[in-house]
Amino acid sequence: MDQSLGPQGLQSRVEEYAEQARDIARSRGYWATVLHRLLRDPVSMACALVLLTLILLAVLAPWLTPYNPSQGSMLNRLAGIGTPGHWLGTDGQGRDMLTRLMYGGRYSLVMGIMPVLIAFFIGTAMGVTAGFVGGWANSLIMRTTDVFFAFPAVLLAIAISGALGAGFVNAMVSLTLVFIPPIARVAEGVTTAVRHLDFVEAARASGAGALTIIRVHILGNVLGPVFIYATSLVSVCMILAAGLSFLGLGVRPPAAEWGLMLNTLRQSLYVQPWVSVLPGAMIFLTSLCFNLLSDGLRSAMDIKR
Amino acid sequence: MRSSSHHSGAAVAESDSVRTPPFLRLVAAGLLILMMPLAATANGGTIRIGMTASDIPLTSGAPNSGFEGVRFTGMTLYDALVSWDLSQADQPAPLVPQLAESWSVSEEDPRVWTFNLRQGVEFHDGSPFNADAVVFNFDKVFDEASPQFDARQAAQVVARLPAYESIRKVDEYTVEITTKTPDSMLINQLPFMFFSSPAHWEALGRDWGAFEQDPSGTGPFRLSSLEPREQAVLVPNANYWDESRMAQAERIVLVPIPEATTRANALLSGQVDWIENPPADTLPMLESRGFQITSNGYPHLWPWQFSFLEDSPWLDRNVRHAANLAVNREEIQVLLAGNMVPAQGLLLPGDPAFGNPDFTIEYDPEQAMALLAESGFGPDNPVEATILISTSGSGQMQPQEMNELIQQQLSQVGIEVEFEVLVWESLFDNWRQGAEHSGSRGAHATNITFATHDPFAAIIRFLDTNSAPPNSLNWGYYSNSEVDALIADLRETFDAEENLSVYRQLHEAIVEDAPYLFVGHDTGPRAMAPGVAGFVQAQSWFQDLTPVHMAD
Repeated sequence: MDQSLGPQGLQSRVEEYAEQARDIARSRGYWATVLHRLLRDPVSMACALVLLTLILLAVLAPWLTPYNPSQGSMLNRLAGIGTPGHWLGTDGQGRDMLTRLMYGGRYSLVMGIMPVLIAFFIGTAMGVTAGFVGGWANSLIMRTTDVFFAFPAVLLAIAISGALGAGFVNAMVSLTLVFIPPIARVAEGVTTAVRHLDFVEAARASGAGALTIIRVHILGNVLGPVFIYATSLVSVCMILAAGLSFLGLGVRPPAAEWGLMLNTLRQSLYVQPWVSVLPGAMIFLTSLCFNLLSDGLRSAMDIKR
Repeated sequence: MRSSSHHSGAAVAESDSVRTPPFLRLVAAGLLILMMPLAATANGGTIRIGMTASDIPLTSGAPNSGFEGVRFTGMTLYDALVSWDLSQADQPAPLVPQLAESWSVSEEDPRVWTFNLRQGVEFHDGSPFNADAVVFNFDKVFDEASPQFDARQAAQVVARLPAYESIRKVDEYTVEITTKTPDSMLINQLPFMFFSSPAHWEALGRDWGAFEQDPSGTGPFRLSSLEPREQAVLVPNANYWDESRMAQAERIVLVPIPEATTRANALLSGQVDWIENPPADTLPMLESRGFQITSNGYPHLWPWQFSFLEDSPWLDRNVRHAANLAVNREEIQVLLAGNMVPAQGLLLPGDPAFGNPDFTIEYDPEQAMALLAESGFGPDNPVEATILISTSGSGQMQPQEMNELIQQQLSQVGIEVEFEVLVWESLFDNWRQGAEHSGSRGAHATNITFATHDPFAAIIRFLDTNSAPPNSLNWGYYSNSEVDALIADLRETFDAEENLSVYRQLHEAIVEDAPYLFVGHDTGPRAMAPGVAGFVQAQSWFQDLTPVHMAD
């Protein structure tokens, strides 16, 4: 190679290295590369760390706190942040806020993740079926989901929860129903785009059955984008879940759930403003972390271009 | 130009004559229009009231939304045959004649009551109030075959007047009401029967929906405008028949704000001048910022009304007593910044009919646990029950916080309760449907507060066996032969002194049998802007808005 590199030479050298990098990436495998890229993204890692901490606090709450989340003492009601024995203060019934926030994570995180996870499976199955089969099946499935798009997500969640009645399980069901249509739509779009590509035709020509084509050729292309989309819904779901509880349509009192806690503490806003906003801060922090992590995941998975 | 001058005819005619340049006329007209609201508020002012209801209560004559509806769109727009004198703060509000000047009970047949109507009273539309109007209105809610029957109004009124059987016009200003059985309590039920104008209903094409938008009663206020879920504007009825109750404010604006903290914020930010039931924790702050806080104990009970269906744990009297002994009412007072009188029974402790019950309601967790143990309950075998609650509502005080606290207290003696949370209107509708109805979701008690200003309001509508749904509000199908006998006795006792004595025995029997979790009595806290004047908080769920005005 020539010692004196002109601009074009530099360009070709860069391309060469890029090609090598791609080779390394290929040798590592797709998901390993994604993980590798994700691990080198400081924002995503910080968010993941925060979420992991919250999950651990929620899971280990009974071992980490001496207090019962639903028993308090009226003598200690509305203690401020930094009160000895109650680092984050107490609520209107004298219950330890730190304890309730930790236990609250159990409901709030489950209500944020589970509906999206279930909707991810159901929605993907529906979307892939609609996209792959096409024709009347597509019309039936997609036009049915279109009905749900007529309503804003919040309104739909409230309407379904209202019809089913308040409660943890009903709130989960209503949120799942809210998230199936958008996920199905994304899955259907990607499937339709992939279905007529040459490699699918080739697989079909070489005698592969429909299920094999879906499993090997379609899902491989569909799951990535749908998964990224679904992770971006977790933060929305958390906020909707908190909203349902805030309105009395989610968990039942006295369960510690961030949305419900926020509702109850609103009354004490003028007495202990900082304590009162804590559940809101938790909802904000958690949904922000999920959102940023989802963004990071999308960048990390965006290897091809 | 022309179109704007229509609004202020006289002034513009004058300016036309001196040939003012067009732009000046426009400015003059604009200024006049701007000054009109100022002129309107100068006399008596506008009072904007933040209600706890989530909508404007029905305005056609029989308000919904509980007694808050009666308070705001019943007693303002309408009158009843008899009502309460709400002008005193230092005594329980007595019943006084209103559209009936006098009445008597027949000696031969004590079921027959004769009412002499007030003469010269006019509805807001100018049509006369007379015996025909009275009969028309009773038929409006009781006679499904009558053309004026209105199911929406009937749903509110019928359960409040169970004594009523029929009505007959005697002459232009006399009517005769017959009760189902001899019943001294008819008179206590009549304040809930309001009179809408038959002529106006005819004029609106016999349409109660149109009547809601443009009602006509005989009350001290007229409805000026109604925007559902937003506001209702009341203006004085200049032709009101009772000169001692002429409305003093120029306008009263009713604003539904069901959420307590939002109400407090609305008062702080000047969106309203008066709020019902501010959150307890905001009271010190509101007072320090110069707002007026009023409160007054009144006949009201905040209970759990128990179910007596087969699956209810409350069928066992020991369990009912234990629950009553497990509630620490002083702690609840702390939660409410003192705005509650701890219940020792159904009636306020000082009520002449309180009596001397054998069961003393107080905080005694040891005794509670002993009673539970006697019935076979214990730490390994707790009592389990589901309770219907709301998060807001007329007279409900601070239901969620209070219920959560009671739940903790009961849990400490071995009574584990769960809540089913309903919106206030659903909870209230379910009251009339009863514990058996699917809307009750299998719950074992319902948490609806009520007024206790007379034996009918306090006891009969809930605890008489005959008051079971759909007749009245015996939600839990309570049935106690001793209570039934005393109620029958009370109905037939027309002598005031003897009546009180029977009432006292009845109250004693009820406290002893404890068909409720007796928690507390409201003090009806209200917060008002410094300028609000004239309000006298009566010892009643109901309040008179006529003397209220804005001080200069």
